[in-house]
Amino acid sequence: MAYLSISNVKKQFGDTVVVDNFNLDIEKGEFVSFLGPSGCGKTTTLRMVAGFEIPTSGKILLDGKDITDKAPNQRSVGMIFQSYALFPNMTVAQNIGFGLRVRKEPEATVKQRVDEMIGLINLEKHSHKYPYQLSGGQQQRVSLARALANRPQVLLLDEPLSALDAKIRVSLRSEIRSIQKSLGITAIFVTHDQEEALSISDRIVVMNMGEMEQVGTPFEIYNFPKTRFVANFVGSLNTADAEVVDADNGLVSVDGVQFASAEELKGRKKGDKVKVAIRPERFSFASEQKKANVVDSTIENITFLGSVVRIQVKIGNTKFNMDTFNNPFLELPKIGALEQVTCSKEAVLVLDE
Amino acid sequence: MMSRLRKFPFWSWVWFILGAVYFLLPLYSTLDFSLSMERDKISLLAYQKAFEDKEFLATFGYSTLLAVMTIIASIVLIVPTAYWIRLRLPEARRITEFITLMPFVIPAIILVFGMIRIYSSPMSIPFTDIDLIKPLTMTKFGTNVLIVAGYMVLAMPYMYRSVDTGMRTVDVRTLTEAAQSLGANWFTIITRVILPNIRSALLSGALLTFAIVVGEVIFASFLGVKAFGPYLFLLGQHRAYEPAALSFVSFLMTWAAMGLIQLFTGGQGQTAGAH
Repeated sequence: MAYLSISNVKKQFGDTVVVDNFNLDIEKGEFVSFLGPSGCGKTTTLRMVAGFEIPTSGKILLDGKDITDKAPNQRSVGMIFQSYALFPNMTVAQNIGFGLRVRKEPEATVKQRVDEMIGLINLEKHSHKYPYQLSGGQQQRVSLARALANRPQVLLLDEPLSALDAKIRVSLRSEIRSIQKSLGITAIFVTHDQEEALSISDRIVVMNMGEMEQVGTPFEIYNFPKTRFVANFVGSLNTADAEVVDADNGLVSVDGVQFASAEELKGRKKGDKVKVAIRPERFSFASEQKKANVVDSTIENITFLGSVVRIQVKIGNTKFNMDTFNNPFLELPKIGALEQVTCSKEAVLVLDE
Repeated sequence: MMSRLRKFPFWSWVWFILGAVYFLLPLYSTLDFSLSMERDKISLLAYQKAFEDKEFLATFGYSTLLAVMTIIASIVLIVPTAYWIRLRLPEARRITEFITLMPFVIPAIILVFGMIRIYSSPMSIPFTDIDLIKPLTMTKFGTNVLIVAGYMVLAMPYMYRSVDTGMRTVDVRTLTEAAQSLGANWFTIITRVILPNIRSALLSGALLTFAIVVGEVIFASFLGVKAFGPYLFLLGQHRAYEPAALSFVSFLMTWAAMGLIQLFTGGQGQTAGAH
């Protein structure tokens, strides 16, 4: 049985259904991210696990016990907020020890645990400081230590990195992941940042309009999106209208240019309208590597993005983006030049219209 | 030279000096008058006489006690109300703000007459002769309860606004949720998280309430209690120098109160709470 089980959970505010038919089993020690755009229901789902919202229907079981209707202070769940939510009237040490003192732990235990937690987040020199004397990153680390001091069964992180600048965000997410791994704590991480979710998670739940679109490892979510929404939301994607040419051999046509996909197109027949999706990095110039799909194209535009160069090519009447690594010693084609580009069969995803 | 002249905020200074003269001149005149009780000599005799009067100490002490009781009762009523509205009933905010503004619109005299009308006769079970509550105006305790209740209404706009603003600056909702997730119950959250973080707001509200209660005349006069407001009023009708001395002292006390607010709230903007 799963450590945390969310079954058929639905949440409705008035007539608006915010989360519907949410089913997820999370194993002990697993790091799961809820990824989706604003208003997709990810934070509401997290708040139902925390106890701040009660599901309209469905059940939440933690270690076999039903916690669906339990008050937040009756659950063994730690929460980290986007705005840090440190108590301004308490020092770092007092903030971290708050939960332990609420539980009336002996003062010696409180002190020992607080020292341990302060060591874990490397803020030994700041234990006597008030939150306003710390940077955003330091405050969020204190918030992490405070949540972990109580040794919760599940750690919930509600967009904890959104208020931080880019560099701190990257370093803190690695720190969160390494602390979570070392303590073996089960964690749910809510984010709308796909890079964050892909880099930190064991599994990702992609959500859209209150429903789960796909659950899988970061590799599966990125490389094998099951729905058009996931394909579009995670990573950049070229999509084009296409028509089935040969369903058994996975052949489709975009503006008369044929593309072969790796899978046969089950349930489809010749002439059916479909969408073709190809990630920009899956394209390359045909001279570099011979692949299944070699097509003629015209170079339309070239954009320098630092480590990557984005080249816009026109295949038939449709424009596709192609990403290649920046190599200062390789000459880029000229705009307007005719080039053959290619991609593997596995790169061609055929989605419903 | 020209640019320096252009930069000098001439009109700002003119208005500032006019304003200062408008406020300070009467104050200076009051001080000057209070020090001239003895002919051709500056003396503190008016202050000495005012403070020696037993009525002064008795009425001031009584008004101070009423003010403290009003502050405590207001905090007990308003803090949980404002907290709950912020947390669970944001839609009730507009109506609460409207209610808290009512004391500005309804004169105190109407309120006190309404109270006397209702609470000067016993409350009985309808259609029977069984009295539930004796007339409150008949006992000293009942009158004190009435007057504190009335003062709570008068001070409500100031206390509610102070508390509400204090709660806005510390994001009570997230702090409450953080405390809940750490296992805290409602009592712990209010006493250890919310109240310490709105300390300066409470102090502002309390000092304003104190100033209102100590100088209040209408409630005290109509409910027949010997408070400081009616005492000052009577003193002003029968004496000349002592009321001027007491007026100047009350100015100083108000300034001291403002100073205390500054002292306790100074630097809190950056902390979003007390520390």
